[in-house]
Amino acid sequence: MKARHLVWVRRACQAFFLCLFILLLIGTRLPQNVYMDYSQSFSDARDIRITGPVTFFFHLDPLVWLSSIISARQWLTGFGWAIALMIVTILFGRFFCSFVCPFGTLHHMTGAIKPSLKGKAMISANSGGRGRRFKYFLLIALITSAAVGVNYAGIIDPISFLFRSISASILPAIGIGLRHVFDALALSDIKLFNYLGYGTEAVAAPIFGYEDKAFQTGWVIGFLFLVILFLNRIRPRFWCRFLCPLGAMLGISSKFSVFTLKKDENKCTHCGACVKKCQGAASPEPGTQWQKSECLLCLNCEKTCPEDALTFGLRGIGGKTPATDIGRRAVMGGLVAGISLPLFGRLDGGISKTSSPALIRPPGALPEPEFLDRCQRCGLCMKACPTNVINPALTEGGLAGFWTPTLIMTLGYCEYTCTLCTSVCPTGAIEELTAKKKIETPVRIGSAYVDRGRCLPWNGNSACIVCEEHCPTSPKAIYFKNDVITRPDGEKIPVQLPFVDLKRCVGCGICSFKCPVKGNPAIQTFSAGESRSLENQILL
Amino acid sequence: MKNNPITRRESLKKICKISGGILIAGSMPLSFTSNLLNAAVTPDKWIVDGLGQTVGYSVRELTRKVFETAGGMNRFISKGDVVVIKPNISWAREPSLAATTNPEVLEAVIELCQEAGAQKVRIADNTIHDAQRCFSITGAGQVAQKTGADIVHPRSSMMKDMNLHGHRLDVWQVFTPLVEADKVINLPVAKVHGLSGLTLGMKNWIGGVGGRRSALHQDIHQTIVDLAQFFKPQITLIDATRIMVSNGPSGGSPSDVKVVNRLILSQDPVAADARGALLFDKKPEDIGFIRLGDKWGLGTMNLDKVKQLSVVL
Repeated sequence: MKARHLVWVRRACQAFFLCLFILLLIGTRLPQNVYMDYSQSFSDARDIRITGPVTFFFHLDPLVWLSSIISARQWLTGFGWAIALMIVTILFGRFFCSFVCPFGTLHHMTGAIKPSLKGKAMISANSGGRGRRFKYFLLIALITSAAVGVNYAGIIDPISFLFRSISASILPAIGIGLRHVFDALALSDIKLFNYLGYGTEAVAAPIFGYEDKAFQTGWVIGFLFLVILFLNRIRPRFWCRFLCPLGAMLGISSKFSVFTLKKDENKCTHCGACVKKCQGAASPEPGTQWQKSECLLCLNCEKTCPEDALTFGLRGIGGKTPATDIGRRAVMGGLVAGISLPLFGRLDGGISKTSSPALIRPPGALPEPEFLDRCQRCGLCMKACPTNVINPALTEGGLAGFWTPTLIMTLGYCEYTCTLCTSVCPTGAIEELTAKKKIETPVRIGSAYVDRGRCLPWNGNSACIVCEEHCPTSPKAIYFKNDVITRPDGEKIPVQLPFVDLKRCVGCGICSFKCPVKGNPAIQTFSAGESRSLENQILL
Repeated sequence: MKNNPITRRESLKKICKISGGILIAGSMPLSFTSNLLNAAVTPDKWIVDGLGQTVGYSVRELTRKVFETAGGMNRFISKGDVVVIKPNISWAREPSLAATTNPEVLEAVIELCQEAGAQKVRIADNTIHDAQRCFSITGAGQVAQKTGADIVHPRSSMMKDMNLHGHRLDVWQVFTPLVEADKVINLPVAKVHGLSGLTLGMKNWIGGVGGRRSALHQDIHQTIVDLAQFFKPQITLIDATRIMVSNGPSGGSPSDVKVVNRLILSQDPVAADARGALLFDKKPEDIGFIRLGDKWGLGTMNLDKVKQLSVVL
C-alpha cells in the first residue's frame, strides 16, 4: 500500500478511536434504560451496572498499568490490552501516538487546522530541540515516585488527563449552557418556544444528563486543557513532544522496533516538506539522524516527499539503532523529583499521621496508602456517580491526594443502594461492591454530626426532621428526643431533637445534602469512622 | 408575570374542567351501572375499600374490582384525556420494601386508564433519590414499558414558579406535567413518617413540587394541605397492599413492612387519608394534615358521612 493510502488509514483509525473514547466517556454513567425487571428484586438487592467497556482506554494505557503495578507491588488483572500494546510498540514503534491516542488526535487536529507557523518558522519549530527531554524527566519522576509510594501518574497521563478534562469540565460546561437555553425556551410563555424547549432537551439530555453537574476545580481542569490545546500553535503536538509521559515510555520501548525510515539522500532536494509536516520533530530529512523514539509513525513525511526519497520499511537484523535522546539531567532530575514528591506528599500527615475529616472516599475505596498507590485521578468514578457527589479533591487529601476522588456532601450524597462507582475503577483503587455487601457489612464512608447551633429544632427555630426522614439505614441512624421550644413571642412549638447513632450511621451524607440549612449544613458528614481505615474508628 | 404566572394555566384548566364535567355528566347514565347510582350519597362522598383475603389473590384484579365498584374508570377518565399518574416512587427501594407504590397497582391503573380511552398516560414524580435509579428499582420503569405509558423524568425545564394560593405557601416551583394534564390520579403508598405521622395521599404532593422542599417540614401539616388544595387530583387510590409501619418513610428492611392487602379509593382526598390512618390504628383527627384538610374544606375526615363500599377478593 502506498503511503498516501496509509495516511488515510491512520486518519480513519484516529477518528474511530476518538469517537470511541467520547462514546465510552458519555456512556460512563447510570444506564439510561430504566426498564428493568422488578420481579427480580423481590429476592435480593440488584446492582445496576454499565454495560460498555468504559475502562478500555485505561486498560490499554501502559503507563497506568506500569505505575500501578510498581506502586501497588501487586499484579493487576485486566491490563491485557496494555501489555499487548507494549509488545506491539517494542516490535513496531510508537504508532499508538498517531493511530490510537485520542488526546494525540485532538492535538493533531488543533495543530493541523490552520497552523500558526508557516514556511521556515514551521521548519525550525519542527527541528529537534532539547526541550523534548522534559517528557523523559516526567516519566522517570512518575515511575520513581510510584516506586517510592505515591502514584502521581494520573495527573498527566494522557488518557486520565483527557477523561478528567472532558468529563469534569468540558462536558458539564456545555451541558449547563445548553440546559439554560432549553429551560428558557421551555419556561417561556410562547407556546412554540415551549415545544422547541422540550424537543431539544430530548436531544441534549441523553448526552449531558438531566441535571447540572458541578465539579470542584472544574474550571482549573478545563483551563489547563484549553491551554494545552493552545500550545499546539507554538509547536505542533506540543503535549506529545514535550510533556507526555506515556509518549516517553513508548518512545523508549520502541528503540529496537523493526520499523525504520529509509532515506534516499540521492533523491532528496532538501525542500524541507517532510520536516514541515513532521508531527514529532523526529528529523525525517535525509542527511540527518532520524530520531526513532520521537517518531510518532504518522507517515506524513513519506506521503509528503515529492521525490519519494523517504520510505518506511523493515530494518535488517542487527542494524544499528539510534540512541534515545534522554539526557543525563532528565534522568537525575527525574530520580530526585520522583523520590521527593511522595515524601512531600506525606508531609501534611494525611497518609500516615492523621485522617483528613473532609476526605471522604467512595465506598469500597482501599485504605489511604494503598488507594494512593492505585488511583489514577482519571475521574471515571466521578463521571459515573449519579448524584454528582464524587469530586476531584483540592486540598482534602493533601498534595498526594490532589484530584483524587472525594465526596462533597453539599453537592450530592452517596445513595445507599448504589454501587456504580465501585464497578468502574480501572485499577481497583475502589473495590467492586454489591449493594448487598455494602448494606450488610456495612461499608461506612464516614459519619454524621449534628451542629446544634445551626440545627433548627436545636436552636429553637422550628420543627424539622428532614435528616431523619432521609436516613436510609433500617433502623434509622438518626433518632429523636422530644422537646418543646418557646419562641420569643411565647408560642410553644413541640420539636424533635435529632441525635446520630454512630453504630448505625454509614456516612452516606444524604442528611447533609437534604438539610434545609444550606451551604454549611446543620448536620455534617466527616470521614471519621470510615471502615477502610483501622485508625480512623471512633467506637470501641 | 412572575407574581401571577398561573393565569393562563388556570383558564386552560377551567376549560378542561368544564368540558370534562360535561363529558362525565353525559356519560353518567351509561357508566353508573353499579349500585352506587341508586345510593343517596353525593358522588364525592364515597370511599371504596378493597381487601385481598385469599392467598395468592391478584393485585391487578383487586385494583380493577375497586374501580368497578366505584363506577368504573370511565367515570373519572374521558376519552382522549391526557392522564398523569402520580405514584410515590421517591426512593430507590425495591417494591417489597413498601417505600414506593406497588408496581402491580400502578400497572393495573394504567391499563384501566387506557381502556377508558386515555390518549396518553404519564407517570410523573419528582423523586428524592436519583430519578433514574428510582424508575428502575421501584419497577415503575418496567411498568411503563409494559403498558406503553410515558415516564416523565423530573428536570429543571419542567419546574415552573406558580402561585399555590395556599395559607402558608404562595409562589413555589411546581412540576408542570401535573398541572398540564387533563386528569391527575394520585397513587400513593401508605407509610409512617417521623414528622407528619403518616405519608398518605395528600402528603404525596410534596413529590409534585421542586424548590426548597426540605423547608416544607417546618410547617408540614399546613404545607401538605396547601399542596393538596392546589393539585386536586381526579381521584386518590392509596396503595396499602404493603404498608410501612416503622422506619418510615424510607424503610429499608422487610421487618418495616406489614402486608395488609388493601386498596383505598376515593374522590375525597381527606376521606381517603382518614381511612388510611385507620390501617395504622391511628385516629384521623390525630393526624395534623387530615384535621386541617377537613377544616379547610378539602374533604371530610368523618367517615360516617361517607358512603363506604367494599370489595373483598
